[in-house]
Amino acid sequence: MEEGSLSDPWPRLKGLPMGTTVELAGADGRTWQGTLVPSHELSGERIVQLKLDSGYNVGIRVHPADRLVVLERPARANGEPSASGASPAPEILPGHVALLTTGGTIASRVDYRTGGVRPVREESEILSFYPDLSRDGPVHVIPVFDRLSEEISPPDWATLAAHVAEAFRRGAHGVVIAHGTDTLAFTSAALAFQLRRLPGPVVLVGAQRSPDRPSSDGPGNLQAAVRLARHTTLGEVVVLMHAGLSDDRYAIHRGTRVRKMHSSRRDAFQSRNGPPLGWVGAEGVVLDQPYRSAEAGEVTVEPLESRGGILWSFPGLDAASAARFVEPLRGVVLAGTGLGHVSSIHLPWIREAVKRGVVVAMTTQCLEGPADPFVYATGRELLRAGVLYLDDLLPETAYAKMLWALAASTDPVEVRRLMKLDLAGEFSPRHSVGGPA
Amino acid sequence: MKAGLEVHQQLATNKLFCACPSELSESVTAVVRRRLRATGGESHQIDPAAAFQAARGLTYAYEAVTTSCLVDLDEEPPHPLNEDALNVALTMALLLHARPLDEVEVMRKIVVDGSNTAGFQRTALVAVDGFVEVAGRRYSTPTICLEEDAARKVGEEQDELGYRLDRLGIPLIEIATGPEIRSGAEAREVAEELGALLRATGKVRRGIGSIREDLNVSTEGGARVEIKGVQELRLLHRYAEIEEERQKVLLGVQGTLRDRKVLPPEGLPMDVSDALRPVASGPMGEALARDGRVIALGLPGFSGLLRSPPGSGERLGRELADSARAAGLRGLFHSDEVPAQGVDASCASTLRARLGLGPEDAFVLFAERPVGSAERAVAAVRRRARQAIEGIPSETRDPLPDGRSRYSRPLPGRDRMYPETDVPPIPVTAERLDRLRASLPQRPELVRARIVRETGLGGELVRQMQRSGDLELFETLVGQGHSAGSVSRLLTQDLPAVREQVPSGSERFSGSLLDSVLTELDRGAFSKEGLPPVLLALSRGAVSVEEAIQRAGLAQMSTTELREAANRLVSENRAMIDERGPAAFSPLMGDLMRAVRGRRDGKEVAEALRAALSDRPAPTGGA
Repeated sequence: MEEGSLSDPWPRLKGLPMGTTVELAGADGRTWQGTLVPSHELSGERIVQLKLDSGYNVGIRVHPADRLVVLERPARANGEPSASGASPAPEILPGHVALLTTGGTIASRVDYRTGGVRPVREESEILSFYPDLSRDGPVHVIPVFDRLSEEISPPDWATLAAHVAEAFRRGAHGVVIAHGTDTLAFTSAALAFQLRRLPGPVVLVGAQRSPDRPSSDGPGNLQAAVRLARHTTLGEVVVLMHAGLSDDRYAIHRGTRVRKMHSSRRDAFQSRNGPPLGWVGAEGVVLDQPYRSAEAGEVTVEPLESRGGILWSFPGLDAASAARFVEPLRGVVLAGTGLGHVSSIHLPWIREAVKRGVVVAMTTQCLEGPADPFVYATGRELLRAGVLYLDDLLPETAYAKMLWALAASTDPVEVRRLMKLDLAGEFSPRHSVGGPA
Repeated sequence: MKAGLEVHQQLATNKLFCACPSELSESVTAVVRRRLRATGGESHQIDPAAAFQAARGLTYAYEAVTTSCLVDLDEEPPHPLNEDALNVALTMALLLHARPLDEVEVMRKIVVDGSNTAGFQRTALVAVDGFVEVAGRRYSTPTICLEEDAARKVGEEQDELGYRLDRLGIPLIEIATGPEIRSGAEAREVAEELGALLRATGKVRRGIGSIREDLNVSTEGGARVEIKGVQELRLLHRYAEIEEERQKVLLGVQGTLRDRKVLPPEGLPMDVSDALRPVASGPMGEALARDGRVIALGLPGFSGLLRSPPGSGERLGRELADSARAAGLRGLFHSDEVPAQGVDASCASTLRARLGLGPEDAFVLFAERPVGSAERAVAAVRRRARQAIEGIPSETRDPLPDGRSRYSRPLPGRDRMYPETDVPPIPVTAERLDRLRASLPQRPELVRARIVRETGLGGELVRQMQRSGDLELFETLVGQGHSAGSVSRLLTQDLPAVREQVPSGSERFSGSLLDSVLTELDRGAFSKEGLPPVLLALSRGAVSVEEAIQRAGLAQMSTTELREAANRLVSENRAMIDERGPAAFSPLMGDLMRAVRGRRDGKEVAEALRAALSDRPAPTGGA
């Protein structure tokens, strides 16, 4: 035990490692004993957090006259599990499922310092969350990034695509990508255009609840994704997430036709403009819609351009700002209102951009149904100005496809032709009466 | 005995982390099925209680009701902590002379029995170091917490538990007392005083289940046991006394095991289906008849120790059965029960021989169906038997309606708690406390003094109403113009008697219903003797006071009817009246009251009788 000092204990307290057991004696006679835990980033001034023996954390304001006694130093800093960096690389077995981790909720834990969730970095840590992962066959974990998905950008899509191709080359039967959900649908669309001749399923999966909570949807989603990745004939990029609020059915969405439609529900992901391809449930994997079959031969990876963008139209968007946004780009996807409209004040800059060789494409911010230039005069004018209408392509999918098409050709005419081709099941020729699935 | 209490009181504010009303509901709109797993907290250690519950591998079916939201279903992050609820907790802290924390940190307490959709209960320590005074004695209240209530269990099947979400998230104030309570009766008094203080805030929910007690009991040489969720305050002392008795019996068993130098049981379980098939009845017979089997486990040295000692209802055999039950197996049989379920002495000696056991040894039989399902139960019984040698395990127990309790799970430790990072910490400012201090409710003893002064009722009578939670109702009814005497009689005598008879019907007695009962009484629709049958009829489903009066057969007797009944009685008893003179009044009054059956007030009946007697023609003859 160390003696208490008469000076302000605050600076000394801030210097102690987390996990130190201390006694704080207030000038008012109240004594607190507990273990130092990281303070919440929104904690008040001079508030120290102690974990009491009861397990409760308490926030205590430290006064300059308080007395501090260090009772016990921590055995190991913060009780974090030891790093497993030195462990030998696991053997890669044929027919395994490759699990690429990128961070995100599905591979995150609570960070008690910031109060938020942070991605895990160690393969061993991921396996400690999901001990049942390799129950049905070998799973090889490949950490790629440790980022929340809002930090993932198009160059990362290219890196991921390369890892997928590499995993197939090393004998993976299928690939699962654990990804943050915020931008998961962008990544799935981009991979669908980048990866050609897939020999097996590429399944993107996420979680809406972090795995450190008992109710996390992560374990169920991941288990179902690994199961789907063992499918023998599926050969496209799909997204697998909860089909409803129950932990018993998982929807399989085509990677180019899926969108996160809710900020927090576990069934946030929905197929747009048509039903999901199928589901994973008690009856196994069921694919009841036409899907793309796995192909023999070597998977190839196609590059992406970076000078593309999405412009969301809104009442009051002024032409100068829009023109400035588009100025450095080679292609832009407009998310127009209704059937695909923007105010006629934008016609001048659109005409000018098209003349310059910029590909200006139109989608609908309704996120369901087609963009159609023929119904209203505005649409016809936009069409005449050179806007390319992309039917029922989702704005995000159109953006990913644009980056791919711009990389495939420098000729705007060719880019426009490629944009209209159905390459990854991204268009739906029919919209059934049933409405959104 | 040393006991501590944890009082949990539901608040009448909105829910703690969402804007839903704190109301129970019967209108189920959706059912969602979930699974939960045990996870580690900050220290990455999995709590033993959590691991135990998760190992059961159950599915949970959650019933959403019309007032449920996505927060209830763990489909949306919690909203910031309900400030109204925090104010009530801080008010309680001030009433208990406690010290509020500078900053309130919301924690997650891992509970994976399915009662919380998230797999944890959110809880925050709000204040420390308080006390409450009861009958001149001071009891410490070391902690005051604000936490969310759990979902209520509505169904239980082999692999699935059903819960309804209406109760989940209702704010609870938890007040813990120090281990200073010395008897069951004292526990009840402290609980009642805390209840009165809580109600003084005016922000608490009422009715069955709105206040629940956990009882922590420790005995000399025994262990700390938590009996969780006692709803009936009047049974509190029974739980404490029976727990004390249970621990005494188990300490006796431990002593004998020590004397016999018994070692922890280590033998393997054995399939004894063939020996039992011809004889077994009950659960074992059932298991054997339907694709199951019977497994035996030897407990060397335990013979005679599984049954209750003379004069006690407690026994180790029941502890073993409870631990098997918690591990998913019902239908445990032990050798101290012989002869029963078809197992007689000769069958028992066959089994002993098979298991290599002597006369000092006991055995346990597991009715296993389907085959292989008893594995965890066998391990649990073996563990419980080992604990019997070591003493009494610290554990959480569920209260049963008869005052006994049953093993529920191991006592959770500090590893079950980690911060709720979705909710920012809440500073408790001096200004806020000043504001609450300025509007502090009147303390219960002051309320009592005022009512005694205003109504002239006795202090003990007023205290009784305060303890039972009826004082606010008393003031309401008196405020509506009813006399303090008749209201207090209703609340302290008639109503408790009816509640005792029909506990489920007591929810019906709202202030407005009792107001109409008293109004009808004052109006003379029935007499005060008719009050108990009217209340009884109401608690058994009569929809109005009028209907209750009809059902109780108390429709007011008319004055003519009463006069005729009195005259008839007098003429029938002429001889007796002549013989006894004024002394005849008393037996005649008894007869007339029985005939009237509460349909007129006693005073009116006496008047009618007197009139009939004086009208009687004078005896004839003589002269």
